[in-house]
Amino acid sequence: MLSIERHILSVALLLLGSMVFFPGCEVDEFQKLDERNWQLTWSDEFDGAAGESPDPEKWVYDLGRGDNGWGNEELQVYTDAPENISMDGEGNLVITALQSGNSYTSARIKTLGRFAQQYGRFEARLKTPYGPGLWPAFWMMGANIETVSWPQCGEIDIMELRGQEPHIIHGSIHGPGYFGGNPITKGYSLDRARFDNEFHLFAVEWDEDKIDFFVDDFLYQRILRDDVPGEWVFNQPFFMLLNVAVGGNYVGFPTADTPFPQRMTVDYVRVYQNAN
Amino acid sequence: MKIMNNRFAKILPLSVAMVLAFSCERELDDLQPAEYPSNPNVFIDGFSGGLEYAAFGGSVPTAFDVDNEVTYLNTSETSMRFEVPDAGDPRGAYAGGAFFTTVGRDLTEYDALTFWAKASKAANIDVVGFGNDLGEARHQASVSGLAITTNWQKYIIPLPDPSRLTAEKGLFYYSEGPEDGRGYTFWVDELKFEKLGTLAHPKHSMLNGEDQVETSFVGVSKRIEGLSSTFNLPTGVNRTVGVTPAYFEFASSDESIAVVDGSGVVTVVGGPGTAEITATVGGVAAEGSLTIESVGDFVNAPTPVIPQDNVISLFSEAYMNEPVDYYNGFWEPFQTTLSADFEVNGDRVLNYTDFNFVGIQFTSPTIDATAMTHLHIDIYLPNPLAGTARMQLEVVDFGSGGTGVFATDIPASQAQQWISLDVPLSNFAGLGSRAELAQVIFVDVNGNIPGFYADNIFFYDDSTPPTMPATAAPTPTHPSDDVLSIFSEAYPSLEGTDFFPNWGQATVVSEVAIDGNNTLKYTGLNYQGIQLAEAQDVSDMAFLHIDYWTDNSAQLNVFLISPGPVETPVSLTVPTSGWGSVDIPLSDFSPVALDNLIQLKFDGNGDIFLDNIYFRK
Repeated sequence: MLSIERHILSVALLLLGSMVFFPGCEVDEFQKLDERNWQLTWSDEFDGAAGESPDPEKWVYDLGRGDNGWGNEELQVYTDAPENISMDGEGNLVITALQSGNSYTSARIKTLGRFAQQYGRFEARLKTPYGPGLWPAFWMMGANIETVSWPQCGEIDIMELRGQEPHIIHGSIHGPGYFGGNPITKGYSLDRARFDNEFHLFAVEWDEDKIDFFVDDFLYQRILRDDVPGEWVFNQPFFMLLNVAVGGNYVGFPTADTPFPQRMTVDYVRVYQNAN
Repeated sequence: MKIMNNRFAKILPLSVAMVLAFSCERELDDLQPAEYPSNPNVFIDGFSGGLEYAAFGGSVPTAFDVDNEVTYLNTSETSMRFEVPDAGDPRGAYAGGAFFTTVGRDLTEYDALTFWAKASKAANIDVVGFGNDLGEARHQASVSGLAITTNWQKYIIPLPDPSRLTAEKGLFYYSEGPEDGRGYTFWVDELKFEKLGTLAHPKHSMLNGEDQVETSFVGVSKRIEGLSSTFNLPTGVNRTVGVTPAYFEFASSDESIAVVDGSGVVTVVGGPGTAEITATVGGVAAEGSLTIESVGDFVNAPTPVIPQDNVISLFSEAYMNEPVDYYNGFWEPFQTTLSADFEVNGDRVLNYTDFNFVGIQFTSPTIDATAMTHLHIDIYLPNPLAGTARMQLEVVDFGSGGTGVFATDIPASQAQQWISLDVPLSNFAGLGSRAELAQVIFVDVNGNIPGFYADNIFFYDDSTPPTMPATAAPTPTHPSDDVLSIFSEAYPSLEGTDFFPNWGQATVVSEVAIDGNNTLKYTGLNYQGIQLAEAQDVSDMAFLHIDYWTDNSAQLNVFLISPGPVETPVSLTVPTSGWGSVDIPLSDFSPVALDNLIQLKFDGNGDIFLDNIYFRK
């Protein structure tokens, strides 16, 4: 895992370097994107009053502890309480992870049954929480999950972060033959900055041949249909999820030094379709 | 403190060379206002330019040395080695010292002091930080109890506000004692200032982030403690550094009530009123505040008048005090009482807060109070009392005398004024010998005294009877028709007069019979009013007559008061030789409105006996 991150970092640095040296040129093949004509198909700007719950026309709650901590030995109990998830009155949705002794509450919402889309651009502008054991995510799963189950339904993690590394996010996909601890993934690291103290824009652009991953519109990972070691299942509508997990296989347990409460602040979620 | 820079003399030529090199490149046109070097390195492969070391006083002077063997990743040539002594090491009790430069460095472009460190065993270093320049140490910041392991790890000490560090000379300091009595060794390498950019969520605190409220008085000063800055490290955990006041900008919400200076000292300057003291660091509001509820001028406890020869004092400005171990033993685990002693107008006052019980100890030496008869204590309850309080006093003899216990009720009406307790030592139940007294203990029996002030704590010998007039005041002879009497048995006096109005005074008022003649007695006078039931017109009178007696007063004034208040003092000669009788022309009280007299007042000190207070033609 570490070697992968280093590789990606060096690629990113190379890219940055080349941008610096050749500012006016087509940067390189990696960054060369086809012309797009994105048409907004769905969005939530989270403009509600302070304390207001997410729009039930757009979002559904996942509640409780799931099976085996949502499959990852996560520690938190998900609720729909405003102290765990509500608008801040300043144009943001805030998901708050709270500690009470050794137990934790937080929130997870999804668009399953409300909205799903095949292909297009999916983006969220947000500030992450931080601290060992915090695991925020903006991600997607195949809308056929209830009939074919996971990982056959497919999963696209647009943004995941380990709270003990608040300057690194990861973009990943899971599918049959490449899931759990063995996804196709890349990290993206900020230089002398962090994802938890200012807003950043996380996005994927997805078509029938590939999925591109962006931070602040910088393309840091492209996964082609031919890159996956198993079946390409990213050819049906996906729904979106937002959550803040505490503990779990991916991130480890929170420690006595983990500051609580922790918040993920989401400015907006927007979805586009390529009109070309 | 021994300066240990001689061993690093070989470093000096290097730094000179650097300076020369720079000066070669400098053009005259480039000359700028004096700027300090921004060299971030403290110790990489040796001392950086201009760096010196001095061991702290009482520490092992040789605790620090340069190590050529153990270095970070074995890539650097040398590291800093610190040998912490065993307990009882004759060379010193701990390892500690400061690394400093004589020319300041500009650290404004960095956000952290970082280093790699490891130890011969897992330990917690007592203090590690920077800003100790062996001088004023204005911008000191440090981490306490830094956990260190046996593996090389990187440690980060955030700079609370880099913009302040324009010419910093204190680049690193440490202090560490034995762990469980045993010494050990730790190494530090790659010590430098850095711009990490990954420190987040700064939070600054005064008073440890608490919002405190304090009743106070004009003249009281208090330093704001509990200053710290907390940053989230790149690992997602918080690190708190204790900092000096110079990082903070303090402000008072009302400078007519309280002011605060740059070093965080709050001084109450007015009142009654309220002022909130807050602070910012680098423009970020600090958590915590101090709300001063000033009640105005402080009323000092009455000045004791018993001669020093008859007194063994523990705490009083009026006497020589015996050695005291402590005025608050912080007896764990059950004591909650804290101390917030203050000084007002040069008079120190003990201030116990969060009171349940508290003890004063004096064992060096213990006190032989065999010749003493009483314990005197002045106490003041600054908060209103909801009901009757009960203060228990205990006197402890460390010899054979055991513990004596005495308790007294304090009615709610006596809150917020000085109460003078004069307890005969014979009233301390259970106390035998008092030859080796060692403690005085206060206990809140009813649990309703949040705190109290104490002053003038002393034992005294009162075996000679209290001084008082041997005879009654002379019987007045003025015709009754010419007299308007306030206090006298020779004339019918005004009805409804209040001789003990609560004006916040300390004076104890009583009436004593002398030869069967009722006499007004002021004990421990500071001031004392007499409230008439209704306003009197004495404009057709010529004199105020007073008979008075005192053998210990050094000052005594009498006032007449008309609404406004308009009041004028007239000084009375003290002490008296027998009864003194005065007839004061009422014109001496100008500009008091004699046709609308509402009050009389005495002020001064000592114990005063009064009789035959009346107006006459």
